[in-house]
Amino acid sequence: MVRNSRSRFPGTVPPNAMIQSLIRSFVLIAVVLAGHLTFGEEKVYRLLAEYCVDCHTGPTPSGQFSIEGLLELGTADESISRERASWERIIRRLRAGQMPPPQHPRPEEVHIMEIVKDLGRALEASDEQRPFYIATPGIRRLTRMEYQNAIRDLLGLQIDAATILPKDESSHGFDNITTGELTPTFISRAVQAAESISRQVLGIEELGPAGITIRIPPDRTQESRIEGLPYGTRGGIAFDYHFPNSGKYEFQMRLTRDRDEKVEGLGEGAELDVLIDREPRHRFAIRKPDRSDDHTLVDKNLRVRLDVDAGTHRIGVTFPQQGESLLEIKRQPFDVSYNRHRHPRSHVALYEVSIIGPIEIRSEGVPSNPITRTLFDDLPLEPPVGQERAVARQVLLRLARLAYRRPVIEKDMEISLSMYDQASSNGGFLSGLEAGIASILVNPNFLLRVESSPDDSIGQPVSLSPFELASRLSFFLWSSIPDDELLKTAENGRINQPEVLAEQVDRMLRDPKSEALVNNFASQWLYLRNLSSLAPDLRLYPDFDDNLRHAFREETEHFFREVIRENHSVLSLIRSNHTYLNERLAIHYDVPGILGSEFRRIALDPAYPRGGLLRQGSVLSVTSYATRTSPTIRGNWILENIIGTPPPPPPPNVPALQEKKDSSPSTTRERLALHRSNPNCASCHDLMDPIGFALENYDALGRWRNWDNDLAVDPEGVLPDGTIARSVEDLEVSLLERPEVFVGTLVEKLMTYGLGRGIELEDGPQIRKIVQYASGQQYRFASIIHGIVKSRPFQTRLVK
Amino acid sequence: MIVTKKALDRRTLLRGSGVAFSLPLLDAMLPAMAGEAGTAAGAANLRRIGYVYIPMGYYAPEWTPEGPSLENLPSSLSPLQELANDVTVLTGMDLQNAYPGSHATSNSAFLSAARAKLTESTDYYLGTTVDQIAAKKIGIQTQLPSLEMSMDLLSTVGQCDNGYACVYQNNLSWSSPTTPLPAEAHPRLVFETLFGEGGTPSQRREALRRKASLLDSVTQEINRLKGKLGATDRERIDQYMESIRDVERRIQQAEAGVRDNLLPDLDRPTGVPAAYADHARLMFDLQVLAFQGDITRVSTFQLAREASTRTYPEIGVSDPHHPITHHGGNIEKLKQVAKINQFHVSLFAEFLAKLKSTPEAGGNLLDHSIFLYGSGMGDPDAHDHSNLPIIVAGGGAGNHRGGRHIRFDKPTPLSNLHLTLLNKVGIPLETFADSTGKIEDLFDPVTL
Repeated sequence: MVRNSRSRFPGTVPPNAMIQSLIRSFVLIAVVLAGHLTFGEEKVYRLLAEYCVDCHTGPTPSGQFSIEGLLELGTADESISRERASWERIIRRLRAGQMPPPQHPRPEEVHIMEIVKDLGRALEASDEQRPFYIATPGIRRLTRMEYQNAIRDLLGLQIDAATILPKDESSHGFDNITTGELTPTFISRAVQAAESISRQVLGIEELGPAGITIRIPPDRTQESRIEGLPYGTRGGIAFDYHFPNSGKYEFQMRLTRDRDEKVEGLGEGAELDVLIDREPRHRFAIRKPDRSDDHTLVDKNLRVRLDVDAGTHRIGVTFPQQGESLLEIKRQPFDVSYNRHRHPRSHVALYEVSIIGPIEIRSEGVPSNPITRTLFDDLPLEPPVGQERAVARQVLLRLARLAYRRPVIEKDMEISLSMYDQASSNGGFLSGLEAGIASILVNPNFLLRVESSPDDSIGQPVSLSPFELASRLSFFLWSSIPDDELLKTAENGRINQPEVLAEQVDRMLRDPKSEALVNNFASQWLYLRNLSSLAPDLRLYPDFDDNLRHAFREETEHFFREVIRENHSVLSLIRSNHTYLNERLAIHYDVPGILGSEFRRIALDPAYPRGGLLRQGSVLSVTSYATRTSPTIRGNWILENIIGTPPPPPPPNVPALQEKKDSSPSTTRERLALHRSNPNCASCHDLMDPIGFALENYDALGRWRNWDNDLAVDPEGVLPDGTIARSVEDLEVSLLERPEVFVGTLVEKLMTYGLGRGIELEDGPQIRKIVQYASGQQYRFASIIHGIVKSRPFQTRLVK
Repeated sequence: MIVTKKALDRRTLLRGSGVAFSLPLLDAMLPAMAGEAGTAAGAANLRRIGYVYIPMGYYAPEWTPEGPSLENLPSSLSPLQELANDVTVLTGMDLQNAYPGSHATSNSAFLSAARAKLTESTDYYLGTTVDQIAAKKIGIQTQLPSLEMSMDLLSTVGQCDNGYACVYQNNLSWSSPTTPLPAEAHPRLVFETLFGEGGTPSQRREALRRKASLLDSVTQEINRLKGKLGATDRERIDQYMESIRDVERRIQQAEAGVRDNLLPDLDRPTGVPAAYADHARLMFDLQVLAFQGDITRVSTFQLAREASTRTYPEIGVSDPHHPITHHGGNIEKLKQVAKINQFHVSLFAEFLAKLKSTPEAGGNLLDHSIFLYGSGMGDPDAHDHSNLPIIVAGGGAGNHRGGRHIRFDKPTPLSNLHLTLLNKVGIPLETFADSTGKIEDLFDPVTL
C-alpha cells in the first residue's frame, strides 16, 4: 500500500499511486542492477525512492518538481551530468533541511548530510570534467554608482550621479546586471555630464550661474547636534560642495515652515551660522517679527555673499546651541519633533540651503586646487607659449590611461587631441583642454566595460586578460576604476600570479574605497536602499522621523563595515554581542546611557535583544508594512537573502490580507493562518510565515514588544527544517547550525554582484568550493572574497 | 588679480536660489513671452498626443458622471468643470491583458495593452506602447521623438510586484517589447533635455554644436571598439549606434528648432520642489514649453508610481496612498481615494487650462493636442483592470466633441480608444493589441 502521507486529500488514494509504486520498484531494481557505484548512488536512489517519489512524480508533482526524468536516465553518472540543475536543487533543499518536509517521514539528519556530501562530490567531479559556463556580455555600461566613483577617482570630483544619469534597473537584486543597453537618454546625459564635469574641474563658468539647492528632509528633527557638525551646534546640515572657481558665491537659507506658512519653533528667535571647512564665516540673527504675526520676512534676509577659494569644501549651516531646555508639551514627549500638531519643533529648523555662483570671479586661467594639481601632476597650470599642446597632451594621456583602464596607444589619443586642437584654436588652451577632457569622459572606452572576444574563441571559455581582470576586481571591490598600482600589476602581468593577486585583494579591501561593498553591495543585498522610501503610518508610529531612518542605515552599515575592516567571520553578521548605536537609536531600542549623535560600538548585555542583522531596525522595518509587521515579508526576506531558497513569486490575483474587522480573527497570525488554509497559498506561506513569526517580538519599526495591541505576542515560529523557534535567538542558532547555508547564500549574492549576472543552479559546485575554502578560515570576510576572486567564473568568460 | 563683474538679472538669481519654486516655471516666464503671439507650430490641426497616468485606480461613485453630459461633475472630476467642453469621460473600458491583476501590469499594460512576461530577470518582454508608435511617425520631425516624465525620484530595489521585474512598474513607455524608456522626474534634467543649459538662442545654438562634435567622437571610437568584440556584442554595438544616431538627430533638430522657434531666454530650474503639487506643476509647465516650442509632440507622464506610498498632506491625506486603496469597502478610505483622484485631476485641469490659454496659429495649444488621462486599474482593492477611469481631453481642432460621458454597455478594450486616438493623429493602423474596433463617436465626422 502506498503511504498516504500527503494529507491534501485525506482519505483518498492519490490518483498516481499506481505510477509511484511502479517507479519505486523500478528504482529499487535499478539500484540492485547498477553496475558501478561511483558516488554512493545507491544511497541517493534509495533516498529518492523512499522519501521523494510520493510527491515528486506524476502529472502534478509537488512544487512543480518531478524526479521522474532523473531516474529514467540510464546510469547515475549520466543523470548527474545531464541534469545538474535538478540535482543542485535537490542538494539545496536537503541541505537547508527543507526536504523532505517536516511533517513527513524523513531519514536521519546524518544520513541526509552524507548524501548531500556524496551528491556534491559527484556534481563537482562532473563540473571539473565539463565545466559549466554561462556567457556574459563583453560590453556593459557603467552604473550610476560606478560612474560617480570613477569620476571621483579619476578627477577628485565628488558628484551626485543620481541627478545626472538615468536610473539603473534592478534585477537579481542588484543594479549592475541590466547594463547591456545604452539608451539615447543615457548617451545624451553622459555628453551633458562630460561637458559640465570638465568645466567644473577647470573652473570654467557654466552658462548662467550654476548652483545647487540642498533640501533637508522635512521629517528630520533638528533639536540636537547633527553628526558632522561641530559640538555646541544644533540642527542644520553639512555637505561637500565643489566650487569651480575662486570668487564670490551667494548662500541663501530658508527656514522650515508649517502649513500656515509660519516659521516653526521661532520662539524668541535664534542665530544661524554658515561654516566653510568648519570655520564660521557668517552669523545671522533670526528675529521674531515685532508686532505682526506675519512671518513672511523672517528668513527673507538669510543670504550672504562669501568669498570662497576654488576646490571642494565642507559647508555647514547650523544653529548655535542655546542651552538645553525641556520641551513643554501636554502629551507624552515623543522622540521626534517636526510636526506642529503632534510633536512640534521647539526651535527653528533649516529647510534648505542654496549656493549659486561664482558671481564675481577672482582669477583667470586654471585655478590651483587639489583637483587641478592632480590633473596637471608636475606640469605648469599656465604653460609657456608654444608649450600648450604638449602640456595638454600629457594631461590627457595620464587621464586616458586611468579612464580606459589600460595602456593608451597613439590611436587612442587622436580624438582627444583633435578635439583639443579644434577648441583651442578658438578659445585657447583652457577651452582646448576642456574639450579634450570631455572627449575622454564620453569615450566608450570609459563609459563601457569591455571584455574583448577574439574571433577564434567563439563558443570557448577564455581567461580574462590582465587588464580585464584588474577591472573586474576594482569594480567588484570598489565599484570603480583600477588605481595606478593595480594597473601597474596588470601592465607587468604580475596580476596573474596568485600571490600577487591575493596581495592586491588585501590591499584593496584595506583601501577606504572598499566602502563600496557597504554602500553599494550591502545596501542592495539587505534592501537598505529601500529605507529612503520607508513611510510608516505616523498615527501608529509617532516616534518615527528621518533621524531614525538615517540611524537604521548607519547601524547596519557600521556593523557590516566592521566585518570587512576587521576581517571577522561573516557568521558574526547573524549573531553578535555588540552593535553600533547613537543616542537616537539607543532610545528607540531602549538601551540606556548612550548620549550624543555619533555612532559608537556598544558591547551588549544579553538582556538586550540587539546585535545580529535580524535584530536591527533597518532589516526589520524594510520588511514591514506601514501599519504592521509582516511575518510573510520577513520570512521571505530570510529565505531569499540568508537561506538562499527564495519561494516562487506569489500567484497573481491574491488579495492582500483583510484589515482587521470585528468579526474576523484579530491577530496577524490568525489572519495569516486563514490565508494558509487555502492550499494554493499554503505551499509557499507554510515556508515563509513561520520563519517570520520568530521575529514577531519586533514591531514594524524594530522595537521590542511583548504585546501587539492588547494581545500577547506569540513568537513561536517553525523553521524550514521543522525546528521550532521561540525567539530570534532560536532562529539565529538554527541558522548557525548550518553555516554553509548562510555563507553559500552570501557567496551567491557577492558573485551575482561581482560577475554582474544571475547565479544559476549549475554554479553550485563552484560556490561550494568557495564556501569550503572559507570554512578553513572561520568564514572570514576576506577569505570569501579571495575564494570568489580565485574562482573559475571570476577569472574566465565564455565568448559568444 | 582680475575681477570680472557679472551682471545677473534678478529672475535668474531667484531661480538659482530656489525661490522661484514658489512660482511655477511658466508664470515666471510669462512676461518674457507676452507679446509673442503664436508658437512654432505649422498648420496641422491635431499634431500632438499626450498620456497622463494615475496609479491605483479610483473610487467610481465620486468619479463617474450620472448622465450622458458633464454638466454636474462628481467630486473627483469637479476641477474639470470649466473645461468640460474639451473633455470626454469614458466608462466601461478594460485591459484584459493586464490580468492577472497586479500593480506592475496596470502600469505596463496601460499604453501597451500587452501582456507582460512574468519574470523578475532581464528577459522582460512587453509590447511597443502607443506613445512610441505615435513617436515613430509624428515624432520624427521634432528634436525629441517623445518626452517621458514621472514624479518618483527614488527607485526601489529588491522585489517589485508579484514576481514582475521592476521595469514594468517603473516605465510607462516602451519603444520596443524589450526596451523600456526610463522616465525623468527631475525638472532640471527634463529642462536640460529640452533646452540644454538654456540661455539666449545663440548660446543655445553654440552649446548644441559642441555636443554634436562630442557625439561625433563617440561614433568614431565605438566603431574602433567593435573589432575587439564577439558577434553578439557587435550586434549590441549596432544597437548603441542606433541610440547615438538618435541623439545626433535630436541635436540637429534642436539646432533647427532654436533658429525657428519662439521661446524666450530660458532659465534652468535647479532643484526639485518640496511640495508634490509644485513639483507636478513644474513638470506640466515643462511639457507646455516642450509643446509650445515644438520640441516634441508626444509625451507621457506618470503622476505617481503604482503601489506608491506617497502621502498627500496638502489635501489632508496623511496616510500612504497604497494602503488606503486596499480599502476593504471602508468608506473613510474610499473618501480618501476620491480625494487623491480629485487632487491629481486638479493638476491635470490646470495644465489643460494653460494649454488652452496659449495661442497657436488657428487656435490654441489644447485644440491641437489630445490627451488620454487615466489608470490601468479600476477598483484598487481587487487589483482589477476593468471599468477603468478614463478621460480624453483637448483635440478640438480634430473635432473632438467634448462635454460628454460615453458609457459602454459592455466592457470595451482600452486598445479601441488607443487605436482611435492613434488614427486621429495620423497613424494609419487598423488594429492595435486586442482592439475590437474604434470608438467612432468620440469625434465629429469631418465635414468637407
